[in-house]
Amino acid sequence: MNVFEPRIITFLCNWCTYVAADAAGVSRLTQKTNTRVVRVFCSGMVDPSYVIKAFAEGADGVLVGGCHPGDCHYIAGNMKAWRRSFLLKKLLNELGVEDERFRLEWIAASEPHKYAKVVNEMSEGLRSLGSFRSSYSCPSQTPRDHEKAVQSSPFS
Amino acid sequence: MTRKNVAVFTATGCKACENAILDIHYQVSSLARWAHFTFWPYVLGSSWEDLEKSDELDVCFFAGAIRTASDEEAALKLRQKSKILVAFGACAAFGGMPGLSNLHPGGESALCKSPSDDDCPELPPLRSRVAALQQIVQADYILPGCSPPQNYIWAILQSLVCQSESAARISFAASRLPQPIAQAVMAGVLPPGGSIFAGEKAVCASCARIKEEKRFESFKRIHQIDPDPGRCLLEQGLLCQGIATREGCGGLCTGAGVPCRGCFGKAGAVFDPGAKMVSAVSSTFDTTDGEEMKKIAEEFVDLAGTFYRYTMPAQCALLQNRKELK
Repeated sequence: MNVFEPRIITFLCNWCTYVAADAAGVSRLTQKTNTRVVRVFCSGMVDPSYVIKAFAEGADGVLVGGCHPGDCHYIAGNMKAWRRSFLLKKLLNELGVEDERFRLEWIAASEPHKYAKVVNEMSEGLRSLGSFRSSYSCPSQTPRDHEKAVQSSPFS
Repeated sequence: MTRKNVAVFTATGCKACENAILDIHYQVSSLARWAHFTFWPYVLGSSWEDLEKSDELDVCFFAGAIRTASDEEAALKLRQKSKILVAFGACAAFGGMPGLSNLHPGGESALCKSPSDDDCPELPPLRSRVAALQQIVQADYILPGCSPPQNYIWAILQSLVCQSESAARISFAASRLPQPIAQAVMAGVLPPGGSIFAGEKAVCASCARIKEEKRFESFKRIHQIDPDPGRCLLEQGLLCQGIATREGCGGLCTGAGVPCRGCFGKAGAVFDPGAKMVSAVSSTFDTTDGEEMKKIAEEFVDLAGTFYRYTMPAQCALLQNRKELK
């Protein structure tokens, strides 16, 4: 039987989420094995290029994990990741990447359960969404923003 | 000396690149000393038969994107016929504005029917995706820009057509061209294959505006503000793409108070222009509140069309890797 296994690239912050992932393993929490973990020093160093490159190279989903706002080891690195995530999501959306495929999550070192939950959720979600590569037909299935704007314009 | 056989052709494009060749000031008059234009439909009205009858071309300047079957055919034909093929202008180099149609692939259905369908000339079949010249055939040199600035057109003519025959080449010793190209032009030899006739860094490197670490609370469009003449446009809330774009223009647009639109393609060190711009623009958001960030981000319209305005087919990493779904 040919079951689709999504490939999820995860960028985990060294100080919080990576530790949580480690703890989730040590505590033998049940978690899906679809992740490929990349340990980074801070979620703030995950440039949008990394995310786009992951998708371009065939990832089905990207998870960025960082410390909770205010807890960053480098004071405000996670705020930088957060600030970028909105525009990045919007750009990915316009290029045909569904919202569920990119996630930014705050997972503290003491939250292995949350890590396992997020990974399982994402893995299940992507399984039903299907492969990014084969689902890709048209970058924007929905009218793009400016079209929406035109449609709702009082002059049209 | 023998004159070089030169061809100029535009596939899907506005032909402004061809106009730009004629717009190199008084130097245009000296061009005939070195170049014999065997095929230039736009200016000389040459036909494809003329091309078939002519000898091998020394240099062919190919402008415009590859959108129709006949564009593709022209690219193959001109590649076969010419020793040096130059991707001339943003459309040929990266797919250009016609390339934005890749956001809605599917071709014909997007075309409107004219009310008088009968007298319409027939359009050659459209490809499902617009391509840059490089994606169809090997191009030897790339000259970006929409349209390419006069100094680079002159540089590429000096370099490929005149070679060591023109004394004017000496002036390129101190130009903005990357060193290997400038040296080759000086020495009258061909620059290394695949060279891009433009700078290496980002437009910001040659833009004279002062960059501070200013933040903005809302994004603005060019008609909404009168930008401060000395300060960075991005920091004033305008979407300036200088930071992700290859320099070479000398900051022409930003000098005139117009944000950079990215017609030179991505700078050497940039992986994907859209990703770079997302990073640059987001860093100027002046807030630490998620809701507010979201609100600012929502003000931006058509990110894909803005960040990949000239480069969608060739430099958008996400769409580029979809070649298998042609």
